[in-house]
Amino acid sequence: MSLSTIVIVFIIISVLISFAIGANDETMATIYGSRTLKMREILILAVIFAILGAFILGGSVSETVGKDLLFFSIGNSVVLTILISTAIWLIISSIFGLPISTTHATIGSIIGVGLLLGGGGGVNWLTILEMGLWWLLSPLIGFIVTYFAYKLIHKSIINKLSGFRNYEKAERIFSYILLVVICWTAFSRAGNDCSNAVGIVAGLDVNLDLILLIAGLSFASGIVIIGRGVIKNVGTITELHPSTAFASEIPTAIILFFGTLLGIPLSGSHMLVASLVGLSKARRAPMSKGLWKILMIWLLTFPVAAILSVILYFPIDIFI
Amino acid sequence: MKLFKADKNELLEISEEYLAQTLKGAKILHDLVMLFTDNKLNKADLEQVIESEHQCDILKEKYTEVLFKEKRALPFLVEDRYKILMNIDQINDKTEYFARFLQTYPFELYDDITDEFKALCEHCMKTVESLINCATLIETDFESAYAKTFEIEATRRKARKARFHLLEEIFKKTEEPTRVYLTSKIVTIIYDIAHWAEEVSDFLRGLIIKYPSR
Repeated sequence: MSLSTIVIVFIIISVLISFAIGANDETMATIYGSRTLKMREILILAVIFAILGAFILGGSVSETVGKDLLFFSIGNSVVLTILISTAIWLIISSIFGLPISTTHATIGSIIGVGLLLGGGGGVNWLTILEMGLWWLLSPLIGFIVTYFAYKLIHKSIINKLSGFRNYEKAERIFSYILLVVICWTAFSRAGNDCSNAVGIVAGLDVNLDLILLIAGLSFASGIVIIGRGVIKNVGTITELHPSTAFASEIPTAIILFFGTLLGIPLSGSHMLVASLVGLSKARRAPMSKGLWKILMIWLLTFPVAAILSVILYFPIDIFI
Repeated sequence: MKLFKADKNELLEISEEYLAQTLKGAKILHDLVMLFTDNKLNKADLEQVIESEHQCDILKEKYTEVLFKEKRALPFLVEDRYKILMNIDQINDKTEYFARFLQTYPFELYDDITDEFKALCEHCMKTVESLINCATLIETDFESAYAKTFEIEATRRKARKARFHLLEEIFKKTEEPTRVYLTSKIVTIIYDIAHWAEEVSDFLRGLIIKYPSR
């Protein structure tokens, strides 16, 4: 296969994986859950910020994911295996409306193919460990910060309101702030996630800006075409109002933004779901019965992505 | 985006108009019942109560139309306001039912129960008045609205006492069983208004408790 053909194949695969990531994007879930905007309006916003985020912020994390995880030189078949196995697992979970961490799926695939080809020494375990620490910490921070953010907002604002009109006024203000926070999250999230799609392509001789733009467009298509199920599922984990949705979005937005700037591949899905669980605990409100499915698919993501990459590597290698 | 439109005011305006119309209907009925107890009622005037209920229905339909056309931000408030309106609508239905029943009632009220019956009507009117006040206050002042719900409860207790006392007096009568039966029905139907007003006030109290702990 010629080099240009390989580049085209890689770009197509990147477009597919971007689509799969978009399909699994749940950033707008709290806006849906709090019924601040209609789904049509949510999708328009999602498209705008997905494209902007991918294009403007996408470059930073790409380098971490693409270059630091494997010690051996990355061949074309390895890149394709990682991308395809990640995309498959993302699409499967999106079809069921379950949010998973794209980063986890990608890293799982990298570990799988790394172990297959390089054994224990083929994978940069130190970086994986460092990332693992962030993956554990970010949902924990999301849970704790949301828990206390809700308590604070409730005690200092909500509890002091009297009468429907005051509630209405306060919640309306929260709606506006929530919109800003969500757009900010969508922007940084698109940068973080699209980098996973194009990260390994970054090692090839291609125009990264163009690839990021294409990835952003594809990401947006994923949200519009099959992303609604995930948005609806996450948005209904617990009952949301603009003020409570705001409390759950703060940690996700802040941590994701700084994570993206620092090049740390964080899991926005885990953080948001953990924030919603924290919110539910703080309010002593019931949670969706489908939460166990989300937790189950999180646990399955690493091993399944790794196994998929192991299974796919040889057929892809023969094809290439 | 409709989020930025001031689409809530129309709902509030209709709701305020609706509450005012409900109170107006109840007052008309109250005045007519007072005339009835003095045997001065012109039954054709009861049509005013029926017309008032009809006006409330028109406002209710308008409210529902706006609600489902513009339904969006802060749905928990929209839903709760809608429930309040629907509950208060039962008051209108009950006043209309009472007016229609009174139109067909073929007797005069027993003289010996007139005062107690007037007292029952006063209690019923007071519960409706307090309920409308409470539904208005819930918009701006939870504490006052909360206090109002207890006023309604206390007045309903007085109404219940009057109702059973009236029934006791009515059932003592041995002649004209049809008159006895229909008069007892009148007492029960008018008491139902106070009873329902208290049910709605319980619902409002629940909302007042729910909101700060959302």
